[in-house]
Amino acid sequence: MSSLQADHLYKVFGRRPLDAVEALQRGADRAALRDKGSTAAVIDASFTVEAGEIFVIMGLSGSGKSTLLRMLNGLLEPTCGRVLFGGQDLTALAPQELRRVRSHQISMVFQHFALFPHRSVLENAAYGLQVQGVPRDERLRRATEALHLVGLEGWEKSWPDELSGGMQQRVGLARALATDAELLLMDESFSALDPLIRRDMQDQLLELQRSLHKTIVFITHDLNEAMRLGDRIAVMRDGRIVQLGSAEQILVEPANDYVASFVQDVDRSRVLTAASAMVPPHRPDAADCGCESVTPHTTLAELLAVTARVPHPVAVRDDADKLLGVVPRQRVLTLLGDHDGPQVPCDARPMEKEATGA
Amino acid sequence: MPRLRLGHWVDNAVSFLRDHLAWLFDFVTAVVQHMYDGVNAVLSAPQPLLLAGILAVLALWLRGLTAGVLAFVGFALIDSVQQWDPATQTLSLVLVATVITVVLAVPLGVWAGRNRTVSAVLRPVLDVMQTMPAFVYLIPGIFFFGLGVVPGVIATIIFAMAPGVRMTELGIRQVDGELVEAAEAFGTTSRDILLRVQLPLALPTIMAGINQVIMLALSMVVIAGMVGAGGLGASVFTAISQVNVGLGFEGGIAVVILAMYLDRMTGALGNQVSPLGRRALARADALRGARIRSYRPNTAVAMAGVLVLALVAAGLGVFGGSGGGPQVAAGKNVGRGKAVNLGYIPWDEGIASTYLWKEALEERGYTVNARTYDVGALYTGMASGAIDFETDSWLPTTHAQYWKQYGKDLTDLGSWYGPTSLEISVPSYVKDVKSLADLRGKASEFGGRIIGIEPGAGEMNLLRTKVLPAYGLDKEYQLTTGSTAGMLAQLERSYAKREPVAVVLWSPHWAYSKYQLTKLQDPQGAFGAGDRIHTLAAKEFPKKDPAVAGWLRNFHMDEKDLTGLEAAIQDAGQGNEQQGVRDWLKQHPGFVDRMAPVGSTKG
Repeated sequence: MSSLQADHLYKVFGRRPLDAVEALQRGADRAALRDKGSTAAVIDASFTVEAGEIFVIMGLSGSGKSTLLRMLNGLLEPTCGRVLFGGQDLTALAPQELRRVRSHQISMVFQHFALFPHRSVLENAAYGLQVQGVPRDERLRRATEALHLVGLEGWEKSWPDELSGGMQQRVGLARALATDAELLLMDESFSALDPLIRRDMQDQLLELQRSLHKTIVFITHDLNEAMRLGDRIAVMRDGRIVQLGSAEQILVEPANDYVASFVQDVDRSRVLTAASAMVPPHRPDAADCGCESVTPHTTLAELLAVTARVPHPVAVRDDADKLLGVVPRQRVLTLLGDHDGPQVPCDARPMEKEATGA
Repeated sequence: MPRLRLGHWVDNAVSFLRDHLAWLFDFVTAVVQHMYDGVNAVLSAPQPLLLAGILAVLALWLRGLTAGVLAFVGFALIDSVQQWDPATQTLSLVLVATVITVVLAVPLGVWAGRNRTVSAVLRPVLDVMQTMPAFVYLIPGIFFFGLGVVPGVIATIIFAMAPGVRMTELGIRQVDGELVEAAEAFGTTSRDILLRVQLPLALPTIMAGINQVIMLALSMVVIAGMVGAGGLGASVFTAISQVNVGLGFEGGIAVVILAMYLDRMTGALGNQVSPLGRRALARADALRGARIRSYRPNTAVAMAGVLVLALVAAGLGVFGGSGGGPQVAAGKNVGRGKAVNLGYIPWDEGIASTYLWKEALEERGYTVNARTYDVGALYTGMASGAIDFETDSWLPTTHAQYWKQYGKDLTDLGSWYGPTSLEISVPSYVKDVKSLADLRGKASEFGGRIIGIEPGAGEMNLLRTKVLPAYGLDKEYQLTTGSTAGMLAQLERSYAKREPVAVVLWSPHWAYSKYQLTKLQDPQGAFGAGDRIHTLAAKEFPKKDPAVAGWLRNFHMDEKDLTGLEAAIQDAGQGNEQQGVRDWLKQHPGFVDRMAPVGSTKG
């Protein structure tokens, strides 16, 4: 398995792009460049996607996320910077070699599915293998397997326009999976689907990922989706990556006001887990009472119910039943309320003594 | 504004091309001519109804039973109005022109669809090709490609190219960008993107373009008929030149039947060849269920049907085709099969004298081709040597413009009839107008118009510069320009309503036998001495065939013979001109021997 590395990527459209990059490196801003007739779509993007990771690039439209994604497989040539995949510099490859990499190692799933309307579902799923030059029988067999994987057995003979949106995108996914590429680029792949279907597809992707361990770069403008899917998330704004971290890091420690305002609407109870809420146990025997306990992956939403039932801070244990910490009730409320300051004492009626978070 | 000598430069360019690229034009001419001959040979081989059957089976395959039956009825109708041979010629011309157009237009369209610069360059070029009036390049086309089918095909290609290119470009551009990107993302090569994604998805639009190409090609048929491409165009052109409305309609309806057949068939073929179209058809069939009216045989059955009929046609062809033509008496076979090409303008005296010579020369063993042309095309063709001679030049006045331009490349073999006269005529029921001078002050009665003919005719020039000013009519009357056919149609209309009308005419003309007309006197002699009808030949013709040239120099007819011959041809009817000539010759024994004395090489 190989990792994917973006190394100071720039993409400038319009006139004299290289001059624009130089200006950006000297500290010019985007608006100044636009006056000169060039548009900086991606500015100095660097990150590494580890093998087997789901890496989400999140941003509003116009933030440069789709441009960034298309530089990763060479559909767009970076104005400056390098893309390294498994140690190979994709930006230095000849067109023919780049096409080889695209057909064997990187596949892509599109926002509007991009299925070929003149090919059956099976032929669509087999497309990448056809490009690879796999003989007909084998590619149809492998395409059938890929369709089974996404739950579309029995639809091989159908045509794309006979399928619902969700099913079409499963064909798109099957087409991407059939080539056995290690790297999967997903461009707002679930954005065009109904909310319920979208959730199903997210679940299915996570399910598949547990067994396939692909390296996935997923683009979205939906923070909830980003939080649900992403092992790590890069938040983009105006062509720059403004924060890169895990979902919890971004929620708990937004890098700036922009990210903070962004994460405002996120359902924190479903993103934050016991791991981020727990504090060191205040008594060494905290775990011995035999009360209900949780794992570090338990979300705050579930944790809330447990804190209601357990009269003292809830113990957090790992798979080996080892005590990792405890979550006091007040700590849960603090996190949900997005309030991290110290507790304000009340003189009139002192509260019942209880452990508080540090 | 200084006078920009654009026309002069074009003239020079045309001469330059003719002088330096003759080999290229000859090559193109040969290729197109061979394609046409091949297709026409195939189409005209079977019996008309057999070919109608083959075409009907194709319609049955592509569109169903109703279309098959209608196609057969349509082609049977063409045969029954005796337009079959012209129709197959036209079909051949359209097929050849369409194939060449598509072979050029689709790659150009693909290129334009994938490259903005090409698209931007092509657009104005296509505009010019589509909107430049056909006659503007048709006559120079004769310089390059000679007379006949080839310039007709070339003009058709030029005219029909634009929709082929544009629809292909549109089809390629319409393909969803995300699909192309998807293909790229999976590592597809540029060539495969075109073949596997863009072309299959653009195919319905491209087929719509090809359909338009065919329709435009058919609409050029009449114009092509004027430069000797034959076919239905020649039928229609001849008919309208003689104001023969009925015959014109018969030719026209044949064009319409061909157009509808080709339109429906290419539309259906578009569905058959494109994957998306096939799916739509299959779905429609599934919805409708099987019904007799929409029964369509599958491809194998249809092809078998076509094959069987074609084999029958081939079998019959072996036994058909017995040699025809007049028997050539021993000792009189001067020509020994040598080919002579005659051209004529479809005017009565031209038809009569041309078919008289055709008959006479065939009796002398020549192989004679007689074709009808527009005047400009006729002179151009003769100057280039494609036509050997024609018998209907009105000199020195009426055809003065043409003689001035082409005279240096022609030989005048003398006049065979004359004098003729040029005049303005009014119906005899206009009582008080007997002379040109009488027209003065009566402009309101005649609507202020004198109905003229083609603007290039010598008589029109004479009227404008001499006759009308001489009688002071130029201020009072507007001399309308148009065509001989238009003038005659206006005369017919006014005559039927008994309205006063003044028309530009000449003698001899059949109008004088059809209508009661008064030739207005010309006391000042402004029209000058009348024209005589001359026989003109290509410059080299007297050297090439001194015997025929000699006979032509001595050719003469008087008014009684000419009108008698014209009447005999009228009696025989359209398409049987030569039979009319034979009937007339039977009553005039020895006439051919006087025209073409055997052994004589006088002159």
